Amino acid sequence: MDLAGIVFSDTYGTELDDLLLKRTLAAIPFGGRYRLIDFALSNLVNTGVQNIGLIVKQNYQSLMGHVRSGDEWDLNRKNGGLRILPPFSTDGNSDEVYRNRLQGLEANMSYLRNLEEDYVLLTGCNHVLNVDYSLMLDFHKRSGARITALYANKPVDPEEGRNLSWMTVKDGGEVLGFVSGQEKPSPDARLSLNTYIMGRKDLLDVLEKAVLAHKKSFRHDVLEAMVESGDSRVMAFGTDERVLFVDTVSGYLKSSLLLLDPDIRCGLFRNEDRPVITKVKDSPPTHYGKDARVSNSLIADGTIIDGTVRNSVIFRGVKIAAGAVVENCVVMQDSTVSEGVRLNYAILDKQVFIEPGRMLSGYLTRPFMLERRSRI
Amino acid sequence: MSKKKKCVAMLLAGGQGSRLMPLTESIAKPAVPFGSRYRIIDFPLSNCLNSGIDTVGVLTQYQPLELNDYLGTGDPWDMNLRYGGLHVLPPYQGSSGAKWFKGTANAIYQNIRFIRRYNPEYVLILSGDHIYKMDYDMMLQEHIHNQADCTIAVIDVPLEEASRFGIMNTDRSGRILEFEEKPAHPKSTEASMGVYIFSTEKLISYLEKDEADPDSSNDFGKDVIPAMLGDGCRMFAYLYKGYWRDVGTLTSYWAANMDAIGMSPDEKEPLVLNDSGWRIYYRHNNIPPQYIGEKAEIENALIGDGCEVFGRVEHSVIFGDVKIEEGAVVKDSVIMTGSVIQKGAHVEYAILDEGAQIGAGAKVRGDRNKQQLTVVARDAAVEPGAVMPLGSVVKR
Repeated sequence: MDLAGIVFSDTYGTELDDLLLKRTLAAIPFGGRYRLIDFALSNLVNTGVQNIGLIVKQNYQSLMGHVRSGDEWDLNRKNGGLRILPPFSTDGNSDEVYRNRLQGLEANMSYLRNLEEDYVLLTGCNHVLNVDYSLMLDFHKRSGARITALYANKPVDPEEGRNLSWMTVKDGGEVLGFVSGQEKPSPDARLSLNTYIMGRKDLLDVLEKAVLAHKKSFRHDVLEAMVESGDSRVMAFGTDERVLFVDTVSGYLKSSLLLLDPDIRCGLFRNEDRPVITKVKDSPPTHYGKDARVSNSLIADGTIIDGTVRNSVIFRGVKIAAGAVVENCVVMQDSTVSEGVRLNYAILDKQVFIEPGRMLSGYLTRPFMLERRSRI
Repeated sequence: MSKKKKCVAMLLAGGQGSRLMPLTESIAKPAVPFGSRYRIIDFPLSNCLNSGIDTVGVLTQYQPLELNDYLGTGDPWDMNLRYGGLHVLPPYQGSSGAKWFKGTANAIYQNIRFIRRYNPEYVLILSGDHIYKMDYDMMLQEHIHNQADCTIAVIDVPLEEASRFGIMNTDRSGRILEFEEKPAHPKSTEASMGVYIFSTEKLISYLEKDEADPDSSNDFGKDVIPAMLGDGCRMFAYLYKGYWRDVGTLTSYWAANMDAIGMSPDEKEPLVLNDSGWRIYYRHNNIPPQYIGEKAEIENALIGDGCEVFGRVEHSVIFGDVKIEEGAVVKDSVIMTGSVIQKGAHVEYAILDEGAQIGAGAKVRGDRNKQQLTVVARDAAVEPGAVMPLGSVVKR
């Protein structure tokens, strides 16, 4: 595979503060047993990419603990494999690390230089999909594009993201312009996934010039500038795979609950050639007590259920006591819901403890969010 | 790095497991799945890891393909080491020809070179057909303390069952005076668990003697242990307290699975799988969490990843990727990976091996009065609407 991957693990413009307290975007748990990084890494590995650089910036400890040496994705290789690219200071006393993708790339130019692949794919972790990038690479080569941007033909819920970036695209795939914002700017606008393929040498050229010109943003200063300069070789490629967005807290809950839809769930997880891979945990099987009542829910292993669970996503090692009712919720790893608790539209981060009898409710557009290790 | 291991484990995994047929038709007994996500061999291997033993020779002979795949490089049990780790030891060809393992003792005899390579002071002999969580290091400490030549783990069994086991008669200090294989009139209730620790040189000298005896059946229980006792070796019993089940028969295998769901609170030694202090490690598949449908009813059950449950599950162990359709009922059963139970089918007191297909409305039930489970073999199918005889075996 003549393609290397660069994954940006950090958020650049999402509103997920409560979920990001002690972790980077890529480490946000999703879908019962995964983290957002799993989808990015699995897509690249399933495409055949064997060289992946993971650019991290802040709070990346939980992410490092999750990906480790990349073993689970077969990325622990003698040649290539997974490289974690943490920030560093070049002048010895700078205490500021990069603020955007462009600076993240600039800091890692030597990594890019040492790759052997002719093409590089850049992607982030604010969306969830299962895609084969080789179709996009074929399109990139065939169309003679300088940059190919990926867009979603079928976003599941495009209203959700706050900072969506739209592209206006001509027939044949040529990009005419970019527009940011929630509103779809025109009927033929396409929802960009902030995922790009570029020739590696060309990318290095662009980065070198951007450094000299003190540019700040990959999208604004590189991509949009290229389109505005009349370069017709900025192309767009659409994927038909369903895409879930994780840009806001309510979007996180909506996207999580959309996994209960069999089409979306199977499209994401049940592609035989493209499994979603994650770190294993050696949890015991899910245990249902004699009074357990569970319907329309996604339940992970190591969980003990004695209460009622409806329309929810329950992560590994969760305990739901008898008499508790959990509805429309996401309950993350190792949280405990005690006797008689009622939860509706709540997100419980990891290791939350809800004392007996508490009643908490939010709404889909405004979920009740409990941060990690909190106790109510 | 020390070029010597204190204790090396040898795991006897070559048995055919004929009493578990048809589950062992194409796989070795230690590879038989257990408890919704494990295989039997995960228990002794995890016990080794949790006891600090990192070098294990697994002796294979019968249908080893799936077992070998499962063991791989030993990484699930942290045994992918440069020095030591997990080694699969199949029968091999030597200059004097190829020899199958003639018995448990002969299997170890043929691998003395493997033991010598690590030059251990002690050798732990294990078998792959029991479900238990045991700290072998505590047993080893007792072995060392007793300055024993051999220590045999025993478990206290009810007197009425004692005649099914190898029984140790010991003195107050735990020293074994007599060993009786399946005695008609047992003098004690201390049954051998098939877990032995030997001081290495004693083991090797007795294995060599045993091999030289043409009349020997080359078995630890029948030949080596009695010979050592006869010579007055220092042999001690180590009393293990905790859950232990032989899963050598279909009914005992089924019962141990039911124990894994949860045992009554007055049970002395329950099987607890959800134990972060003594984890059972296993090889994983990449499958998503289970989905429980709108009308599903589940009580008292273990359910694996990737299952889709729309019907009713009661007191059962369900492995991964099983589909239970609407209106289907599964009760008191063990359902292995990839099985499908179609609409309205009824499965009760049964074991479904991997990939079994139960057609809509079919009835697959065991005979409780005769304690005879109905077993559907691997990838076998039951036609829609079919009513299988109670306690039958459905083959492919």
